[in-house]
Amino acid sequence: MTQGTLPSSHNPVNWVAEVPEYKGILSWLTSIDHKQLGLMYIMSAFGFLVVGAFLGLTIRLQLMFPMSHVVSQEGYNQIFTMHGTTMVFFVGMPLLFGFAVYLTPLMIGARDMAFPRLNAFGYWVYLFGAALLFFSFLAGGGPSAGWFAYPPLSEKGYLFNSGQNYWALSLFLTGLGSVATGINIIVTVLTMRAPGMTFKRVPLFVWMIFMDAFLVVFSLPALNAALVMILFDRTLNTHFFDATVGGSPLLWQHFFWFFGHPEVYILILPGWGAISEVIPVFSRKVLFGAGVMAASTVAITFLSFGVWVHHMFATGLGFSPLYIFAVTSLLIAVPTGIKVWSWLATMWGGKLRFTVSLLHAMAFLLQFTIGGLSGVMFAVIPIDWQLTDSYFVVAHFHYVLVGGMLFSLIAGVYYWYPKAVGRMMSETIGKWQFWLMVIGFNGTFFVMHILGILGMPRRVWTYPKGMPGWAELNLFSSCCSFILVASILLFVYNLVWSFYHGKIAGPNPWNAWTLEWLAESPPIAENFERVPVVRSRRPLWDLQFGSGGDGEEDHHA
Amino acid sequence: MHSQLSATKPVHPLDTNIKVNRNILGMLFFIASESMFFLLLILAYVNFHNQYGIGQMAAWHLDVVKTGMFSIALFSSSFTLWLAERAHAKQSGLAILWMVVTIGLGIIFITGQALEYTKLVQENLTISRDMFGSTFFTLTGFHGFHVIVGLILLSVALWVMVRGRQHEITDAGLTCVSLYWHFVDLVWVAVFSVVYLWRFMK
Amino acid sequence: MAIVAMDIKNADFTSIFNIASLQNKLLVDLHWFTLAVCLMIGLVVTGLMIAIIAKFRTAENDDGSEPRQTRGNIRLEIIWTAIPLFIVIVLGIMTAYVMIIVNPAVGTKRKPDVIVVGHQWWWEYQYPNYGVTTANELYLPVGKNALFEVRSADVVHSFWVVAFGQKMDAIPGHPTNMWIHPTKKGLFLGTCSEYCGAQHGLMRIIANVVSPEDFDTWIKAQNAMPESSNDPAVAKGKQLFNSETCVQCHQIAGDPAAKAHIGPDLTHIAQRKTLGAGVLENNTANLAKWMQNPQQFKPGVNMPNMRLTDENAHDIAVYLESLK
Repeated sequence: MTQGTLPSSHNPVNWVAEVPEYKGILSWLTSIDHKQLGLMYIMSAFGFLVVGAFLGLTIRLQLMFPMSHVVSQEGYNQIFTMHGTTMVFFVGMPLLFGFAVYLTPLMIGARDMAFPRLNAFGYWVYLFGAALLFFSFLAGGGPSAGWFAYPPLSEKGYLFNSGQNYWALSLFLTGLGSVATGINIIVTVLTMRAPGMTFKRVPLFVWMIFMDAFLVVFSLPALNAALVMILFDRTLNTHFFDATVGGSPLLWQHFFWFFGHPEVYILILPGWGAISEVIPVFSRKVLFGAGVMAASTVAITFLSFGVWVHHMFATGLGFSPLYIFAVTSLLIAVPTGIKVWSWLATMWGGKLRFTVSLLHAMAFLLQFTIGGLSGVMFAVIPIDWQLTDSYFVVAHFHYVLVGGMLFSLIAGVYYWYPKAVGRMMSETIGKWQFWLMVIGFNGTFFVMHILGILGMPRRVWTYPKGMPGWAELNLFSSCCSFILVASILLFVYNLVWSFYHGKIAGPNPWNAWTLEWLAESPPIAENFERVPVVRSRRPLWDLQFGSGGDGEEDHHA
Repeated sequence: MHSQLSATKPVHPLDTNIKVNRNILGMLFFIASESMFFLLLILAYVNFHNQYGIGQMAAWHLDVVKTGMFSIALFSSSFTLWLAERAHAKQSGLAILWMVVTIGLGIIFITGQALEYTKLVQENLTISRDMFGSTFFTLTGFHGFHVIVGLILLSVALWVMVRGRQHEITDAGLTCVSLYWHFVDLVWVAVFSVVYLWRFMK
Repeated sequence: MAIVAMDIKNADFTSIFNIASLQNKLLVDLHWFTLAVCLMIGLVVTGLMIAIIAKFRTAENDDGSEPRQTRGNIRLEIIWTAIPLFIVIVLGIMTAYVMIIVNPAVGTKRKPDVIVVGHQWWWEYQYPNYGVTTANELYLPVGKNALFEVRSADVVHSFWVVAFGQKMDAIPGHPTNMWIHPTKKGLFLGTCSEYCGAQHGLMRIIANVVSPEDFDTWIKAQNAMPESSNDPAVAKGKQLFNSETCVQCHQIAGDPAAKAHIGPDLTHIAQRKTLGAGVLENNTANLAKWMQNPQQFKPGVNMPNMRLTDENAHDIAVYLESLK
């Protein structure tokens, strides 16, 4: 691989807007530099977050009052389809890939990813796929079968405009980009670590991203196979999922969820990685049980391929097929819980600095626990029989995805923004954003647990008057959703405000310990002038105090 | 050994990275992801195999012997590619010859597939006719598409070799192409067994 | 257009904790146990977090030294692995137990008591033991364990009467089974629980649980021919029903022209409380409005705008409302 095409610079600047390699839009459009691509992924993701948030707000507006007509039922069905699809594929995935490709080389002491051009390919094919899906609205209407597109509803016979075709094609393309980036991450971590950085000394964030990449490489192709089949059903008149000609709607559910369950772990693992970096730094304590944290992640990675039928507990598959998956779903709770205990034990006895980053991490811990526990309830099949497809599920997955993934990645943004931009984010704006987000998020979604118990189904464009509790709880939830959306806008505002007005950060504003804090803020083009030999999981601690940063013995060459 | 396009950097004594060429690693994981894709297409075929007489339809419409012969061409091409790699390692001129033979055998296979498709369509067995059509054409069609991509890769590799400076294609580069081609072959072993041979097991 | 009517005032409280079936009794018991366990764990986490915030904030006059580092604690890690493992094992055992009791396997010999067929966006109910077919309102005798078979005529739906506890998907090509043993009389509301297109939100379920005697009476009434009426409007309405396109979709027992199975069976439509699976209160005026433009009340529904004149619509409505 030719290293010579990547420029080098020897005059570091202290603000990303002054980096000479980033001047001019062409440098961004043709970039193969992991830092630029990482920032592009993240900026695109936050752009789509605003879009997805407004789609969500429209949902809440429509559901604010019973039998409402803010949008038609057809419009609503397209909106909630786009809300889910956007949030998972155009916000969640690019956000985590952005973190991954930006930080991994820096944290392992490398110059760039293993395949810089493939990195660019991954980004642009994602953006194109997203544009393609939104284009469908100009081409006869968007998809309206939900983000999971169950046939027969998603077949041509029931939804005959081209929206579903665009949906399948768009996700197929973004899936290719995801697999490419996943391969890139794996090969980078396998072949480009700094001298001395064994896998036991790799930062937890990198370990989580590494495991995440395996999830991506093995699960996205399953989605692509399913998408090929539904696309062929719709365009070539095959019959994979058409029960009237011998096809099987259940087959789609199996294939989709075989991808879909690992997908949710794909979404949460990077956030776990961010938390595993943030909490130790702001507690001034090494991560408790780091080895077990890594091992439990491996367990979760494997197990996550064995739980998919828990999305199908009400499909009448028979005792044995269902029960096996109840067992695996209950089991996967154990390594997940271990992480929560480890994070708490890390903070216990520490010296906490309540930065906005740590605040988000702490909210993550509580909210993710709630979401995880409601997930355990769903693993108990009879409870699932009661509550699946009700608003209780909507509560559950928003707690893990928003309360978990989004909060943890926002903690990561506040933590790593100084490194990328060279300036600190505003703690004042950040605290306002944090509290608004906590109140808005919990207000919007906690009451949905109750709505599910009271029998409100999900994916409904409206609901009857007179159902006890429904109108009141929906009204409350919708009011709080305004606060949540405002907090998201405030977060984006903070990103922009801090870009121009944030305090200059310097290389290591948090007194953190992993290799990326050795680089300048923002890093020079080739990241490091010189990469030290790594002797523990906390190389900067070693540089400051001698070795033993992680309690390991000194290794001499 | 051959000179590489980029000089191998001296490895630090404490370097713990895996010592496999990164392009080869990338190709291996790509193959892993493609395996999942084909696995699900095969599972779809298998899922419907016992219903609606798909097994019988396979028996009725498919010519195992003819397709078997074309399959032998494909399997042989893996062997000839291996010979090409060995010749390339010895900087022998036979490498080009074996590459040409490999590509030729691949073309024979894909031609056989095309002929088989034509015959089936003439017998009114299209992709949209029934479950057999749907699963058969999708599964073998995607395999055929991967064969065509492989033929393109092989041709590019051959072209690089033929330009006279035979040593310009790196060991790793040729290995990547050959790994892909062997994978395509292995997938056909699976597909051929499931689609053409399975009905003989009762 | 804010019209809804279901007899919600008189309906039993809609909640999974309202135990209206033997099956739900078990489900609710398991639910409370699991909820209690989860609440305890949640409280432990919350308590720890509060303690952490209170105890370990960096003091103002902190000297910048590192706190005591803990890299692990084997005993603690074993405890917090073993206890959750024990909990999930207990939950796993209880899961199996409740599953087997609530949804025992159904042999092929037992004919279902009720066959539920989901349509976009209404429910068809068949009682094979009695030869009865009706739509949108379900009747069950209290105290008898009823075997449901759940099917779909088009896309995936899911049948859920909330107080009965569990739901069961309706998947075309894959009939499913569920047992419901109602334990108290009353009117229980439910909903389609799998996104099925435009009007998934208004595909409501109304279950009447009545005494066995009342159930038999209802069955007899369903089996009987609707009473004929001498009202000339009814006769005119019937003639219009048969000559307009109504008979292309709807069946009415005793009317040889009306045999289609595409839309809901209308043989005893006058007995139902609502129209459109819970969208409108069932009376003559509403029925006429529905027929003239169902899209106004349930947009996307498969019944087209019939373009009837007010007078014709009224007459057909009068006819249909005579079908008790």
